Amino acid sequence: SGALLEGTQVKDVIIKPDAPSTLLLEKHADYIAAYGSKKDDYEYTLSEYLRMSGIYWGLTVMDLMGQLPRMNQQEIIDFIKACQHECGGISASIGHDPHLLYTLSAVQILCLYDSIDAIDVDKVVEYVKGLQQEDGSFAGDKWGEIDTRFSFCAVATLALLGKMDTINVDKAVEFVLSCMNFDGGFGCRPGSESHAGQIYCCTGFLSLTGQLHQLNADLLGWWLCERQLPSGGLNGRPEKLPDVCYSWWVLASLKIIGRIRWIDKDKLRKFILACQDEETGGFADRPGDMVDPFHTLFGVAGLSLLGDEQIKPVNPVLCMPEDVLQRIGLQPDLLS
Amino acid sequence: MAESEEEVDVLVQRVVKDIANAFKKNPSIDEIGVILCPEARYNRSPIVLVENKLGVESWCVKFLLPYVHNKLLLYRQRKHWLDREALVDITCTLLLLNPDFTTAWNVRKELLQCGVLNPEKDLYLGKLALTKFPKSPETWIHRRWVLQQVLNQVSTLDHNKNQQQAEAVQADAERNEQLSDRLARTLRQEMKVCSDAAGRYPSNYNAWSHRIWVLQHMARGNVKVLHDELSSMRVWVSMHVSDHSGFHYRQFLLKELIAEICKRPAHTSTSCSPQRGCSTVPEGSPCPHSCSHSNGEPSGQEAGGEEDSHADFTTVLQLFHQEMDLCSDLIQSFPGHETLWSHRRHVFYLWDQWVREHQHSCSRGSDCKLIHLTDPDPGVPEISSQSCAGQGHGVNGQKHASEPMEVDGLFLPDPHNSKRLKRGVLLPCPPTLPTELSFVSSVLGGCCNTEQRHFALAYRKWLDTVIGLQS
Ligand SMILES: [Zn+2]
Repeated sequence: SGALLEGTQVKDVIIKPDAPSTLLLEKHADYIAAYGSKKDDYEYTLSEYLRMSGIYWGLTVMDLMGQLPRMNQQEIIDFIKACQHECGGISASIGHDPHLLYTLSAVQILCLYDSIDAIDVDKVVEYVKGLQQEDGSFAGDKWGEIDTRFSFCAVATLALLGKMDTINVDKAVEFVLSCMNFDGGFGCRPGSESHAGQIYCCTGFLSLTGQLHQLNADLLGWWLCERQLPSGGLNGRPEKLPDVCYSWWVLASLKIIGRIRWIDKDKLRKFILACQDEETGGFADRPGDMVDPFHTLFGVAGLSLLGDEQIKPVNPVLCMPEDVLQRIGLQPDLLS
Repeated sequence: MAESEEEVDVLVQRVVKDIANAFKKNPSIDEIGVILCPEARYNRSPIVLVENKLGVESWCVKFLLPYVHNKLLLYRQRKHWLDREALVDITCTLLLLNPDFTTAWNVRKELLQCGVLNPEKDLYLGKLALTKFPKSPETWIHRRWVLQQVLNQVSTLDHNKNQQQAEAVQADAERNEQLSDRLARTLRQEMKVCSDAAGRYPSNYNAWSHRIWVLQHMARGNVKVLHDELSSMRVWVSMHVSDHSGFHYRQFLLKELIAEICKRPAHTSTSCSPQRGCSTVPEGSPCPHSCSHSNGEPSGQEAGGEEDSHADFTTVLQLFHQEMDLCSDLIQSFPGHETLWSHRRHVFYLWDQWVREHQHSCSRGSDCKLIHLTDPDPGVPEISSQSCAGQGHGVNGQKHASEPMEVDGLFLPDPHNSKRLKRGVLLPCPPTLPTELSFVSSVLGGCCNTEQRHFALAYRKWLDTVIGLQS
């Protein structure tokens, strides 16, 4: 039967003895630096709808590796300016529609470059404020989709701009808490399944709004620790494969709620290192898969949270270098 | 072949037209895909229609996608004019190749708002995109927006109807019927789209959270729909024992059903559930499945009046009992599945919460004559406790005997055991902390599957800490 077949389904990976076990920093920096130059690529067209986030992933990982000067700052800032719309929101790329996801990415990039004044900040604040709904939730754009991810995007953007007081924070908190489940986790909307990516957004949200005490940290920590598989990698939900990006979301959430010691750090480090491509540079979701900038950022950021000293310390809430946040005077709460 | 810019232009425009014509020629296309074909064949369109499947030959995708992509972006920047028909065709091709291109869906939202497209057409395009990209977040997001438009239309009509009370009652009833027919059809279709996408990709978060959204917005408070969903999902989860999202959906249904049962008039004074807004769908109207409860789910429609709280207790108890039974069966038949153990936690937690809440309302002196939830074991309703004493769970996949529980004055059929006593029927024993611990022991006693043991031990630890520490 189908169920019997599913019983034999592979739910973890086996790390081969010859998998990479040291951090190949130069290779990763070369990979990211070269990535943006293949603009005629078919794949590049296919992913243009999330370009702004792609740039944030690339620049953040370069900064964490101390390689930010290799990227073309002026070109990127001009691009961001061209993506800000009349309404104040920022789009993924030129000609695309504005959205909270890309508004946050753009603000994060400008913080990395200490150039927030390149855009009309007041209009960004108006845009974010305008997306809050009566129940406290946030729509991702003017079309009204609701998701706890957008609650995170909204408060993260405003926190970086120092404008948190422009929205109804109490209502926003109320909505996020209404998405909490019996296992201590969070889903995208009330009643939805707990999911590591959504949990990251919601714990990050509660950190930025000073409401971490509302969490059941032990219960949530328990669920998060159960994401670790024998390979050392973490998955995002029960019976899913381990993945470098979920490893980051789970690890960062554990860091925020002060329970990072509950997982086996050495095994996780081995898993993340095994996801590197020794030839091309970059990290994949799992050992042996194709690399991309997204998993490269979360691989490097994960190793930073695990204490790798070759990488700059990363902030678990905003996934940005700690020195950048120090510069703008932002210190999101963490539980101890 | 076509490599010069003009040649690509001509080629691509022809292909976009071919796709549009394929849909006109065959409105029942139900799947899309890319046909592996690295070389172009002259004088033949790369668009292939086989039965109801629309295929695009792979060689042309690398020309087609950048072309339609750039055309749309130039239009969006007001650098290139496209008429409405061209916009419809271009966004259709674009979204079938790259359904997460948010802006293309937004263009269609605008076309829908000005009446160039209708909701059904866009729901259909989304459905096709999901056959190839079952997770595509933007496709699901667009679907919710379109459904919201349908709901708004219906409630606007409803509102107008209320304002013009002078109109003939007959016309009102007819229109009302048409509306609920449309909603029922749409609801049925959404469930099908969700099932298909769930079948194409395991633990499809977007498909299942969409399904929850649909119930919350299109069938809020509709006990019949909730029951039918629970029934039809029973078979599905039994065949997808690793699908955590499918099981979460069952948990959601259970929770909603219990809340609805407790919300009925006899219970207005209890603290059972927060009151919610009415269903958008007229009570009892959409009926996506047949009305039978052939899978053994109890019916939510019990007699009203004095015996309501007894009947409600029975219904809730049966729901939980059957869910725990199903879960035990699956755990024993398919050892080592984290999903099943996680389901057990959730269902037991829901039951435990329900008992605690009712214990509370009973102690305030409402009409729970029958169910005395007293110490020393607050988790066990004191109902003929001696008849529960002997119960235990079988070992090695053997189904445990569901020992009956005797309840006075109740005449409700128990699908598992319809043997009737003089004074009443046999009801299943409620799950309790001790019965759960004994289930764990029975699993541990007869099992050498390491994963199964691991999950059983984790469940015991969870029972001890999360449930045990609450009492
Ligand atoms: Zn990933």
